[in-house]
Amino acid sequence: MTAARLATEAITLEPLARQSAPATSMLSVANLSKSFGPIAALRDVSLDIAAGEIRGICGENGAGKSTLVKLLTGVYRPDGGSITVAGRPCIIATPRQAQELGIALVAQELSLCPDLSVEDNIWLGSLQVPFLHKKPELRRRAAEALVLLGAEHIALAAKVASLSMGERQLVEIARMLTRDARVLILDEPTATLSDVEIARIFAALLAVKREGRSIIYITHRLAEVYAICDRVTVLRNGELIATVELADVDRAGLIELMLGRPSDEMYPEETRDEGPPALVVESLTVPGGIADFSTIVRRGEILCIAGQVGSGATEIVTALAGLAHDATGRVAVDGRALILGSPLRAARRGIMFVSGDRAGEGVFRRLSIFDNLVATRLRDHAVFGFLRRGSLRTTAAALAKKIGIDRRRVRARADALSGGNQQKLAFGRCLDRGAGGILVMNEPTRGIDVGARAEIYRLMREFCAAGYALVLASSDLEEVLGVGDVVITLYRGRQVGRYRRGEATMHRIVADITHPVEAAT
Amino acid sequence: MTDQTARITWQLPLPHSRRGRVLVGIRLVAVLALVAIAIGTPGFLTAVSLFSLMNTMSFIGCVAVGMTFITLSGNILSFALGATLSVTAIVFVTAQPLGLAGAMLAAFVAGAVLTGVQGWVIGNFRANPIIVSMAALALITGVATFVSGGQGVYPEDATADVLKGRIFGNIPIPLAGFLVTIAIAQAVLSFTRFGRNLHMVGSNWRAALAAGIAPARTIVGAYVAAGLCTAFAGVLMAARYSSGDMSLGLGYDYSAISAVLVGGTAIQGGEGSAFRSLIGAFIIAVCQGLLVLHGFSTQVQYLAIGIIVLLVIMLQTLADEY
Amino acid sequence: MKPLLADRTLRPFLLLIVIVAAIWLLDGGQGRFFTAATAFSVLQQFATVGPIALGLGLTMIIREFDLSVGGMMSLAGCVAVLSGVGSPPLGIAAAVLAGGIAGLCQGGIMVRLRLGSIGVTLGGLLTFGGIAYVVTGNLSIAYPRMDIAMAVNQKILGVLSLRSLIALAAFLIAAFVMARTRIGRDVYAIGSDRRAALVAGVPVGRIVVGIFALSGMLAALGGSLLSYSLATASGVALTDALVPATAAAIIGGVSLTGGKGTPIGIIGGVLVLSLLRAGLNAIGTQPSVQDIVTGGVLLIVALADAPDLSRRLFAVQVYRKRAFG
Repeated sequence: MTAARLATEAITLEPLARQSAPATSMLSVANLSKSFGPIAALRDVSLDIAAGEIRGICGENGAGKSTLVKLLTGVYRPDGGSITVAGRPCIIATPRQAQELGIALVAQELSLCPDLSVEDNIWLGSLQVPFLHKKPELRRRAAEALVLLGAEHIALAAKVASLSMGERQLVEIARMLTRDARVLILDEPTATLSDVEIARIFAALLAVKREGRSIIYITHRLAEVYAICDRVTVLRNGELIATVELADVDRAGLIELMLGRPSDEMYPEETRDEGPPALVVESLTVPGGIADFSTIVRRGEILCIAGQVGSGATEIVTALAGLAHDATGRVAVDGRALILGSPLRAARRGIMFVSGDRAGEGVFRRLSIFDNLVATRLRDHAVFGFLRRGSLRTTAAALAKKIGIDRRRVRARADALSGGNQQKLAFGRCLDRGAGGILVMNEPTRGIDVGARAEIYRLMREFCAAGYALVLASSDLEEVLGVGDVVITLYRGRQVGRYRRGEATMHRIVADITHPVEAAT
Repeated sequence: MTDQTARITWQLPLPHSRRGRVLVGIRLVAVLALVAIAIGTPGFLTAVSLFSLMNTMSFIGCVAVGMTFITLSGNILSFALGATLSVTAIVFVTAQPLGLAGAMLAAFVAGAVLTGVQGWVIGNFRANPIIVSMAALALITGVATFVSGGQGVYPEDATADVLKGRIFGNIPIPLAGFLVTIAIAQAVLSFTRFGRNLHMVGSNWRAALAAGIAPARTIVGAYVAAGLCTAFAGVLMAARYSSGDMSLGLGYDYSAISAVLVGGTAIQGGEGSAFRSLIGAFIIAVCQGLLVLHGFSTQVQYLAIGIIVLLVIMLQTLADEY
Repeated sequence: MKPLLADRTLRPFLLLIVIVAAIWLLDGGQGRFFTAATAFSVLQQFATVGPIALGLGLTMIIREFDLSVGGMMSLAGCVAVLSGVGSPPLGIAAAVLAGGIAGLCQGGIMVRLRLGSIGVTLGGLLTFGGIAYVVTGNLSIAYPRMDIAMAVNQKILGVLSLRSLIALAAFLIAAFVMARTRIGRDVYAIGSDRRAALVAGVPVGRIVVGIFALSGMLAALGGSLLSYSLATASGVALTDALVPATAAAIIGGVSLTGGKGTPIGIIGGVLVLSLLRAGLNAIGTQPSVQDIVTGGVLLIVALADAPDLSRRLFAVQVYRKRAFG
């Protein structure tokens, strides 16, 4: 049973709730703008959300959705524009003020403490809790909130650690309800949930709606927009493109609104013949991430795995890099089997990993650029464990030149570089490793400016020319289409489609990763 | 993409170089002040006085070099190095019938094994290094006291008396040994694959793992190196005092980590050197010498070291918070 | 049986029963051990280690670590002995105040400068130890009030003493605060997931500072009572107190990963450790065996809490599967 069908069932139970015409305005935003330096993250956005309305907000990565959320919740302060809550104009300067105004965010990363009980979590941080916190009154209100959400099966005394992801989401929403949230903002709430859990969340949201509260629902999954939202607002490049009644627009039209921009010329042309298969993956499975994934990657080719958060793309590349200890499946590098689960084994077979999480697992920020560049090739420049400084220096200088970093800066610390340049370090580390290289990348251009991106794409082609095979997991569809020789689309742990360059269109891919059911029909 | 770029721009810190300059400035002022006081103190700046200062630091210095490996590897400190020193001294004295070389070898093996096992537990399972070192401290002390019956051991012959002498003209062997240890350790850290891997593992464990550098093995190596340095200190001390017992190394862990931190090795790991620990040991020695000459008691020296360490740790944020 | 074992607070008490049984068997029914005198000495031991273990345990519950307790303990002993000649309660009050201020400073530095607790409290340990040395002039200073020394160790109801009663009271207050009040709940929230707690609106900074102040005060309480009972104070302590206190907290169910453990559990942990010592003493083993047992327990717990243990075990399983099937 799919999410969409379950969801529609949930909805058919409540046809009236959906049709009741929105009356008063709950949250109104006029000409909201925010820029960071020269970059305008949000330009002149105006919204009007009625009481009891569920408003979908769609847009590609970087369309300005999260900036809007941060403005509404007091994390950022707007450069211009006004916000009106329930008819009263107001300034939201801090998260606390947002809370007092009744604007609550359920972020993708939940703010629940796993070692605390459900009840404690619901009341955590609330100003209404007295010093002796276990009051029957509070317990009753917490229970009521859960009942309202249709989650009475969740025991108030249970530890949150014992709940499923969907149940945790419900607890988080219950917390917002007990704080008298009038506008509930949900940011991709279903990314990691199962079908049944999504249906539960939807039922809960409809209950909230019936109370006359408003919901802002941010998602990449168009099916969910149709299942639950009344109207949808589309953002693109920081601008509001349109706000439409869902009855007035079909899926294709919505995708049109979301994309609607010409792809720029930042992707170098492919220059290759059909290479030999470098990496053969058969029935790769990572529990909770990806199920039964198989593919072949050839030398000189870039395989892009496209999918949203929770699709399993990240799990595929981290498993190939040996970083997922519970991965199973057969992987062969150049015809020889590779046992998964050890980054060392993977590295020895020429698999190199570049992560978008530069600070966490990419770059050695406290070490020099030199150290970062030669990090993985010390073995080749050592005699009985002693390094040959001269040859290391020449190597580092050559690599710095290749990735476009001034060789005079190689003694500087890596964290003195911009994000883009740091990422180029991570790529530089993998260059020139003979013909056996396989590069696996996870969102490598996350948070990187356009100029550095273009250079990184150029580097990727250089890797291809050198006979590497590249696997790239990305949720940036423009990137996927721009660099991928082969594109595989994923939806919640399963492969949906596989396209060669030219076969794939933006529409096709968006359809696959947001709503494969419809795409199949 | 734009708003992610924006977020990064938003979070951009003060220019790193400026923070660095502030830090260097503070350190410079501190050292200059120390030099000024030293010049202003009659009788301090004689070669004899400096020499004897360094000589007293040589045992602590060797342990500090060992501690440097542990701190660099990202495991903060070990509480068990003092006990390891005592045990290696006992082993050295007990093994003297094997001859000087044999006894030293036995002590080195003992030191390497004792800390190497801790390194294995910490590197392989990522167990908490502080707790593991506390456990090791209790286990080493307990077993050693149990076996030795709490008695010290004394050499039956004068095999080790060679180590009491002086070489290269007039340099006491402990000091020479300390300087050699520094030189070897610094060479290992700067010029070998292991040394560079150690910096990487200490700087960012996950990045090292993702890059295919064996973090577990490197951490075992760091602990073994720490054990060897400590064992060397144990040998020198056993020779100097012609005895080995469990009280020899008491408090050496604290003195060693103080020297490491005062020298400027980062407590978070990944940044530092053996040479810095030499500087740290030297600064502490100079402070102690100055305090003595100005008529302060040994107790005030303890306090001074404590405050210096606290200040150094607080200063590190200036460099690292961005 | 399984749910019993899974309860972290109950576990140390089960262990306690096992140890009592084991000692009884080893003793062979000679009655060397099960006397009021041993019970008294166990509780005296509890009074010494207990407050420090409680303070340390609280810092571990918020996923920090207070290395400075040993230094604080000896410093507090000096403060109490020096200022408490006229009025002993005043001496204790002065010591506890000093501990609180010291902890406040450490916590403040951590929160303000966003520093790890290990570094700051290491500096604190050396500094407090140094102050204690300066105050005592590196000698042990005698406390001239033998009457007070007698009074704090005077047997009450055969097994208790003023000292152990005060320690017990500290535990009971802590247990109530942790289980029943909003502050206790916030403390667990911080240890469980600091980011989430912050987002939910918990005043994280204030509570972290408060816990370190409390840890300093408890160490000071333990140290001053100990000094009174021994009628002497000295600058030497450092790790002597740290290792058993850590072991007690960990045996008592406090997790290194934060958010878990209760004061009642820590009572159990301290009792287990004290009982082991007393038991090993009673059956005539050397004191060094106690060190070995403490170290062994610490090592096992450090391993059991290690994040990569399961990963390594999984890797072993996979290899076995590959090799044999």
